[in-house]
Amino acid sequence: MADIRLENISKRFNNDIALNDVNIEVKDKEFFIIFGPAGAGKTTLLNVIAGIHMPNHGAVYLQDQYINHVEPEDRNIAMVFEDYALYPHLSVFDNIASPLRSPRYKKPEPEIKKEVERVAEILNIEWLLERSPDQLSNGQRQRVGLGRALVREPNVYLMDEPITHLDAKLRHQMRAELKEMQKSLDTTTIYVTHDYLEALSLGDRIAVINEGQIMQVGTPEEVYFFPENEFVAGSFGEPEINIFEGDIMTSEQVDFSPFFGQSAFGFLPKEKQQVLGNKGLQTIRIGLRPKDIHFQFEPVNSKEYIKGKVFSFEPLGAKAVLTVEINGKYIRITMKYNEDISINQDVYIKIDLNTAIYFDELGNNLLSQFSAKRRGMAWQN
Amino acid sequence: MAKLVLHQLKKIYAKKDEKVYAVKNLNLDCSDGEFVALLGPSGCGKSTTLRMIAGLEEITEGDILIGGRKVNDLHPKDRNIGLAFENYAMYPPLSVYDNISFNLRAGGVQKKEIKQRINKIAELLDIQDLLDFKPGMLSGGQKQRVNIARALIREPEVLLLDEPLSHLDGKVRQKMRTEIKHLHTEINSTTIIVTHDQLEAMALADRIAIIKEGELQQFGTPYEVFNHPQNEFVAGFIGEPPMNIMEVLTIRNKGRLFFKTKNNVISFPVPDNYVQYVRENETYHFGIRPTDISVVEGEDFSVETNVSIFENLGEECRVHIRLEEQTMFSIVSSELLNLKQGDPVKLKFEQHRIHIFHPSSGERIENVLQEV
Repeated sequence: MADIRLENISKRFNNDIALNDVNIEVKDKEFFIIFGPAGAGKTTLLNVIAGIHMPNHGAVYLQDQYINHVEPEDRNIAMVFEDYALYPHLSVFDNIASPLRSPRYKKPEPEIKKEVERVAEILNIEWLLERSPDQLSNGQRQRVGLGRALVREPNVYLMDEPITHLDAKLRHQMRAELKEMQKSLDTTTIYVTHDYLEALSLGDRIAVINEGQIMQVGTPEEVYFFPENEFVAGSFGEPEINIFEGDIMTSEQVDFSPFFGQSAFGFLPKEKQQVLGNKGLQTIRIGLRPKDIHFQFEPVNSKEYIKGKVFSFEPLGAKAVLTVEINGKYIRITMKYNEDISINQDVYIKIDLNTAIYFDELGNNLLSQFSAKRRGMAWQN
Repeated sequence: MAKLVLHQLKKIYAKKDEKVYAVKNLNLDCSDGEFVALLGPSGCGKSTTLRMIAGLEEITEGDILIGGRKVNDLHPKDRNIGLAFENYAMYPPLSVYDNISFNLRAGGVQKKEIKQRINKIAELLDIQDLLDFKPGMLSGGQKQRVNIARALIREPEVLLLDEPLSHLDGKVRQKMRTEIKHLHTEINSTTIIVTHDQLEAMALADRIAIIKEGELQQFGTPYEVFNHPQNEFVAGFIGEPPMNIMEVLTIRNKGRLFFKTKNNVISFPVPDNYVQYVRENETYHFGIRPTDISVVEGEDFSVETNVSIFENLGEECRVHIRLEEQTMFSIVSSELLNLKQGDPVKLKFEQHRIHIFHPSSGERIENVLQEV
């Protein structure tokens, strides 16, 4: 059992607030992600858990024990850093064994051998034990780094952006490898990253943090499909979600004309009409993911379509990003690659509210409770 | 605006008694107004090439022509080029306005004309409000815009961009990429961008020159290099997640040729369009992009296997199949799938999207046979 609870954690550096009233509960054996942009406070939070930083306010509990004053080395927490920092002159075996030979955790050699072999099997590196680190691929080095953390059987693993510095292609592979090993970890893990793909792929749950504050804690489906606010919505997905502002005209019609500078309407789906209508809203903000925007190049006579111009077209392989400009607003659409698009040509887009996420003027999700209960339905988009 | 031609361009460094080729016989023909990317891993010679075009690096052999004029021996300032580097190198005590106008003033252009030109460029790059700022007050994206403005102010025939986005992070980088793409249609000058990021090259360029170890691998449109890579290097370099490439053996079974992997995880008939190119009992490198494989139900499938890893990434799902210790085979699906580790799965390969490469040379197999 190793659950972690953070209660009202705040941390200041001089006058900068790094963490502001953070509350998180990490369950036993959970793979928990701390996700946010650079400078959000992710690493500070990790360091508070590790005992490297003392919070100015709040309490850290490990298995229901108050541990604010427990020294880092007494918390039995293993950290894996971005650079694996292997000892270059030691073999893989000795690298993995090194924590067990430290004065604090010293174990008899036969036991160490058994332990290293157990870990090597989990990580699928038995056949590399005699090699030195410079004979390993990046992926293998990563596994050895992990192995060194695993060998101690700690209460908790803390991982700080362990694969961020790799290029996109290696990251794709390493993420998959990490995911494959995840089950064998079988220990509470807290993983820090600013890459939303890592967060969605690896996390049992994700805490989204911005400017020291928790924006949302939820499963990957929850943060992607039911973001609490526009910040969370904008953090997952590339290109990021489009946000439009409109006035609610009737129970079913939203007028986007002021936003787009031309006649533009959207129609609220039936099941959303009542619950949105009851809130007495005048304006509403609509989030639409780039793949959920309908568009066509032939002129169309419908008040649901809005005329814009192709601002840019960026092929990225199998798919492409089309950026449409309307009245100084830029709308990003993902589409299949198409060779016949020229910049500045006319394009017509339709605001289909069936796949929309609804926010209030402050950017908070109007339906988060509502949608969460109806998850089965909303999945069908 | 002008055509840019590189003819048999070479750059050789002397290293002790050895000659090191940084650039080997590079031939490129960039049309007037074209946007060309020089793409390759670090150390491939792409920046050296750009520096030779700019006149910052001596040419060992070969010619560079701008607008039909040989510029080999011209001073950089006489080549009519604009340069924007990765690091902005602005004069910190000068305002943005003075930074942009510096070269014009040095060249004795009238104040009134300078003002006109700066206003035009500032509007194009959306930096009108920044002209009085000092460089230290600007964000990364703003600095890069000023940097490009400075390169454009002299109305160059050729605009050279050296990794203009690599200092910027995530969202700013994406936004800037879109802006550069749009900007190019506005200014319409021949533009060369150097980058190691294949997505950047794909997104921006009309044509991409892929360079490895000083040698041109392929010069083609984003569509061509993605769909018809001429060799295994290009196939692996372009596209993310990368193309699945694995070693296969051809065997005959009941009169039909089959590709199979060493460990038999994958075995399927050789597609009709390749039958004429492959022989029995030979090894080939088989490539297929993750987006060209679909997860299917029913009997029309290429391979039946088990899911090693499954990822739901919101906008897409990725399925990975472990073939061997070091090889993973990936599938990208834009449809929502609901799979987990160990699930049986049927995969269908898009027959016309299969690439076969020669196992030692890495050449596309169709090309190898044509040469024989």
